[in-house]
Amino acid sequence: MRLLLKWQFPDGSWPAFQGDSEGSWTTGLALSTLIAMNGPADSGARSLSWLLEERGKEGHWLWRWKFKTTDHSVRFDPDRFGWPWTSGSASWVIPTVFSVIALKQFTACNRRERAEKRIRLGVGMLLDRVCLGGGWNAGNSVVYGVPLPAHVEATAIALLALQDEKRTPAIQASLGWLKQRSSSIESVESLAWCILSLFVYQEPVEHLKARLATLIGDGHDIRNNATLATAILALKCGEMIHPFEVLR
Amino acid sequence: MNVDRRRFLGSAAGMAATAGVAADWLWPRHSVSYRRPRSFVAILNAAEYSEKIETLLMDGLRLFRLNLLGKAILLKPNMVEDLPGPVNTNANIIGAAARCFLRLGAARIAIGEGPGHQRDTELVVQAADLKPHLADRHIEFVDLNRDELVRVKLRANYSGLGELWLPRSVLDSDFVVSMPKVKTHHWAGVTLSLKNMFGIVPGMKYGWPKNLLHWHGIHESILDICATVPIHFVIADGITAMEGNGPLQGTARELRKIVLADDPVAADATCARLMGFDPLRVQHLSEGGRFLGNLRADRITMLAERAEVPICPFAVLPDFHYLLARADM
Repeated sequence: MRLLLKWQFPDGSWPAFQGDSEGSWTTGLALSTLIAMNGPADSGARSLSWLLEERGKEGHWLWRWKFKTTDHSVRFDPDRFGWPWTSGSASWVIPTVFSVIALKQFTACNRRERAEKRIRLGVGMLLDRVCLGGGWNAGNSVVYGVPLPAHVEATAIALLALQDEKRTPAIQASLGWLKQRSSSIESVESLAWCILSLFVYQEPVEHLKARLATLIGDGHDIRNNATLATAILALKCGEMIHPFEVLR
Repeated sequence: MNVDRRRFLGSAAGMAATAGVAADWLWPRHSVSYRRPRSFVAILNAAEYSEKIETLLMDGLRLFRLNLLGKAILLKPNMVEDLPGPVNTNANIIGAAARCFLRLGAARIAIGEGPGHQRDTELVVQAADLKPHLADRHIEFVDLNRDELVRVKLRANYSGLGELWLPRSVLDSDFVVSMPKVKTHHWAGVTLSLKNMFGIVPGMKYGWPKNLLHWHGIHESILDICATVPIHFVIADGITAMEGNGPLQGTARELRKIVLADDPVAADATCARLMGFDPLRVQHLSEGGRFLGNLRADRITMLAERAEVPICPFAVLPDFHYLLARADM
């Protein structure tokens, strides 16, 4: 917690890694961590302000106008924008999810209109980008008229942000797609996110946890700390507070 | 048009051209030049991905008389997604290249990639079937999306980015080998050895995809990255290439070639010619030919087969018809 607070910028954001000087996509994740660990409210409030201000570059009226009138190579609704990985770029699925979850969690007991509007906009963006047949790619669903395939990890993470939303056909289809794909996934990171996501939808995950434990082994082959952390959270799913759970 | 108006337009065009030259002279857009008097390229014929590739590659590499003794080599393949089809550089070529470089005296080989769309790198490595080639203890895989990062001032200024955070594994390498898959690209026209270097930009900082580079201009970002991290050698996988709506949704095209080169611009120009494109019409190639390497055919020595224009050029999206070379080229 001490390190987390130390690395927070005065504007409320967090860098992508220690040493960087710009706020980034990790801000939503850091705020969720702060909430789970009962961190100081002023730190959370500053983070909330930053998240409310941040938006994908296509959210600017000039770009929205361009994408509505002249640039149709990617199919999406420019009026529905989320959050970028890094300031100065467009909205993408995963940073939008982490921001939406953090906003929902932080404002669960006292949500003002501005936060509600921003959450709706982010959720709208996610629903606009669903792949044909369900699931999510990195950000777009159709490019140059060709549908893009869904990614397991992006789909699992996106569903986390939509866990308290009305089960629309798009969400149902995505959940079905993820359940089907999770049965054959052999990668630690994607499988861990599947477990974290399916758990909040009250789907059985014990068999997936057993497979994940086998894949991890003694953990020596996992050289990425983010993957290791996600895997531990997934293995502990149901035994501790779920860091991405949103109160209904 | 009357004479005065014609004279005025002529003078204006002349002034604009002069201003452009002066601006380049006063504020040069690159602080380095990797162009040499001559570059060397070898086109190898390979009908399929088989065990014979290692022998073929070794014979091809020996033509270049590379001094690799004790060097730390980074192989940068193009591994984007866990999709079927010719999306990624074939693992047999990557593995063969790694073993060849060890046989030529390299101390260690890092195969480094930071996939642009898929955040789960392990999934991409699994799908590409690369794991069996990592058994040798001198060959390791590095996820460039999550490597230790160093802030680097860019050595060219086309994108306006000024600086980038780049992976230490790339910066600490003695010899960088770009190993692209020969493909068309729906934003850049082609994706070859220069465009392949987008994969060294870390997703941890710039995201999946590395969208900031798109906003700053794809061609411009390519030039800045390749000026900052020079490519020492190219092994382009053109056995089964991709045409049409590349780099992910295109269709397979059997080109049956591997292109080796000691100059990335010469390599990409050769690949572009093999695809039936005019390299001068690829923006980052025509500009890269001024300082990143040799573009003109008369400055490229072919060590093996010549780059003949294919009878049927690669299919492209309508926006890229301008790339097609004239029949008399």
